[in-house]
Amino acid sequence: MLFDSLSFFIFLPIVFVLYWFLFNKQLLLQNSFLLLTSYLFYSLWDWRFLFLILSSTILDFFVGQRIYSSDSIQLKKRWLWVSILFNLGLLGFFKYYNFFIDSWVDFVSVFGYELKSAWTLQIILPVGISFYTFQTMSYSLDIYYKRITPSRNFISFATFVSFFPQLVAGPIERASNLLSQITAKRTFNYKQCTEGLKLILWGLFKKVVIADSIAPIVDDIFANYSTYPASTLILGVSLFSFQVYGDFSGYSDIAIGTSKLFGIELMSNFKFPNFSRNVTEYWQRWHISLSTWFRHYVYIPLGGSRVNKLKSVRNIAIIFLVSGFWHGANWTFIAWGAIHAILYIPVFLMEKNRIYMNTVVAENSWFPSIKEVIQIILTFFLITFSRIFFRSESITDAYSFLLQIYSDFRFETYQHPLGYRMIDYFILLIVFILYEFIIRRNERAPFNFKSKTVRFILYTLVILGMLLFYDDSIDRSFIYFQF
Amino acid sequence: MKKLIIKSFLYMSVILLSLEALVRVFYLGKDTPTRFLDEYKVEKWAPNQQGFSVTGNRRQNFSEFKINNSGYNSYREFTPSKNKIEVALVGDSFIEGFHQNYYNSIGKKIENEIPNIEVYEYGYAGYDFADQLHLINAYRDQFDLIDYIVLGIKFSNDLTRSRYNVITDRSALESPFNKLLKKSKLIVYCKSIGILDPPLRLISQVSNLFSPESQSSNSHVNIAIESKKEIEYLKNFKKLVSLYGFDKSKYILILDSNVTNPIFLNYLDTNGYQYIDFFPSFTSTKKPTTLIYDKHWNNYGRTIIAKEISKFLKSKLIDIK
Repeated sequence: MLFDSLSFFIFLPIVFVLYWFLFNKQLLLQNSFLLLTSYLFYSLWDWRFLFLILSSTILDFFVGQRIYSSDSIQLKKRWLWVSILFNLGLLGFFKYYNFFIDSWVDFVSVFGYELKSAWTLQIILPVGISFYTFQTMSYSLDIYYKRITPSRNFISFATFVSFFPQLVAGPIERASNLLSQITAKRTFNYKQCTEGLKLILWGLFKKVVIADSIAPIVDDIFANYSTYPASTLILGVSLFSFQVYGDFSGYSDIAIGTSKLFGIELMSNFKFPNFSRNVTEYWQRWHISLSTWFRHYVYIPLGGSRVNKLKSVRNIAIIFLVSGFWHGANWTFIAWGAIHAILYIPVFLMEKNRIYMNTVVAENSWFPSIKEVIQIILTFFLITFSRIFFRSESITDAYSFLLQIYSDFRFETYQHPLGYRMIDYFILLIVFILYEFIIRRNERAPFNFKSKTVRFILYTLVILGMLLFYDDSIDRSFIYFQF
Repeated sequence: MKKLIIKSFLYMSVILLSLEALVRVFYLGKDTPTRFLDEYKVEKWAPNQQGFSVTGNRRQNFSEFKINNSGYNSYREFTPSKNKIEVALVGDSFIEGFHQNYYNSIGKKIENEIPNIEVYEYGYAGYDFADQLHLINAYRDQFDLIDYIVLGIKFSNDLTRSRYNVITDRSALESPFNKLLKKSKLIVYCKSIGILDPPLRLISQVSNLFSPESQSSNSHVNIAIESKKEIEYLKNFKKLVSLYGFDKSKYILILDSNVTNPIFLNYLDTNGYQYIDFFPSFTSTKKPTTLIYDKHWNNYGRTIIAKEISKFLKSKLIDIK
């Protein structure tokens, strides 16, 4: 059930009304209802994979208690490994099994051994597995590091693991934030609900108008890159940057907005990354729930930046490579991670990785300075370059794409594959960038204007935009569902 | 909670009204002329209407239509007489041409190609072969004065019945409820861009659940049905021709041989039916011949059609002279 589908727009109001009218009396009722709803939501994708979520839930529920009650560190560690191995095992089998087999076959063929890839299996990737396995692992890790105490209530814990708004593509929540809200009875809050509805509206705009309308152009350019000149390829990868941002941040906004309707606050996942002034700021603004996960559970345990420079650089390289690999079982994602490590490390070595923390571009002015504009464009260019690898089917494709830019370096007007006016999309993106710049200070309040009239006009224009760019014929699934 | 529901409802109502206004201001929704069933049970547009046809979310195609006194979209009135050369184009929406400005139609293009002739376009969306022959038969006194009649035919669509009768589904579009819906330009616009398709599909699926007949299909049965249908279509053609009459010397079919059954083409060839095949001209060009969002011919496609008809007519008009 996609967030921008009709079925979700029938599902959500029904669940919302039942939740606040019928199941509002007790915490147990609230959580039981949310759990059943979440399982129903997930089973509409593929009911068979419910058993995976359930097994991960049961295991981590008991392992969490064992970690907590064990006296010795060694025993705690053993139980922690049970959780990690089980969750990574699930992930490894369903997501990476074929990749490892194929990579091994390719590797031995370098030495002249011809192996048939007979061990590869027809495995369907369960939706959201990368997200919920990381979420349950964080629970066990937090108990191990004594950040939280284990839940004694299975219903609450299961609701934490499978909470439907963020089940299939995050934000990847930590128990300290989400579980603590789930274990407390929620009361209806009008303001929170209206904020949620506004976020849902803005998320839908980003998904339907920005991501989906650009998708056919990007698909066409990446599918036929060998026939296009450099100008078209640069246009294609730049548009992909907006597509993936609109798609994923749109999804996150809908998830956060939907959670608000049920009285639950999820963490922010995007903070206008397109206005980042360097790559380190970008990583403070892009897919925040994943980058904080890696920081807390990989980077800091490895020593973070408290060790010597060389080890810190190693730690940064590790988290970017792992982060790349998390995105998918393909060398393209590892290359993408490696590029980000290469871009990040110099900024880190110059000790400029924290200079833009908790600030925003044009902090105290209406317009950015020329320096900031140059920084933003440069950062966007570097990030977009890395996305050639992110979007390509293989390393060979990414290399050929780059080679085509170099060898056919000329400008040519691009025609939309379906014959639509390209100018519509350029105007749309300019308006979108300008609007995001105006609202850049608060990612959770996209319509934060004092005047009711202005707000009303904006709601109307956003819906009109969706009508103007709606296309029933395109694939509407979210990009990050494949991860 | 009550406050949220009431305010959401109020906001949605005002937003819908604003959207209705915006759709009207930017002319995003098309005008739909009124249908009309005349004394001979011929379905056509109510005479003397004017408006704009819009295609695509962002007005990708915007054209003006004008329904003449005879109830068809044309820049001219139909006044056939013995002392002029007239050609009638009879067909469905492709001839009707709401997707073009009425003063730049196929008929107008033919008139530009061949001076001193008048082209009358009897086009109406959904007209099949039965509709076309019934129209000619009903207005025989007028069509007898016309020198050549070109009939658009698509084998898979236009020969599904062997006798003309009024299509109630199309007449139902003029029901008070549908007329009321059409008053909202927002609804017309949403319907045209397909945003109402998912809810309509859902309603249809739900209603099918309660329907006792569930359709099953397999490929063997489908092939058998298709081949049976083709034989039936040919039979329908023969029946219609014998029922309403078909003057082989002045009736000309226009078709796309690529989507026409060879058995039918063979029948036309062996029985002396004249036809214009526009498939070779459409395939020999690299430029698109249809509109965006729409399968109808674009200006270039219409020019090709007009040239094909003109070429054919020119050869015939030499005979007349």
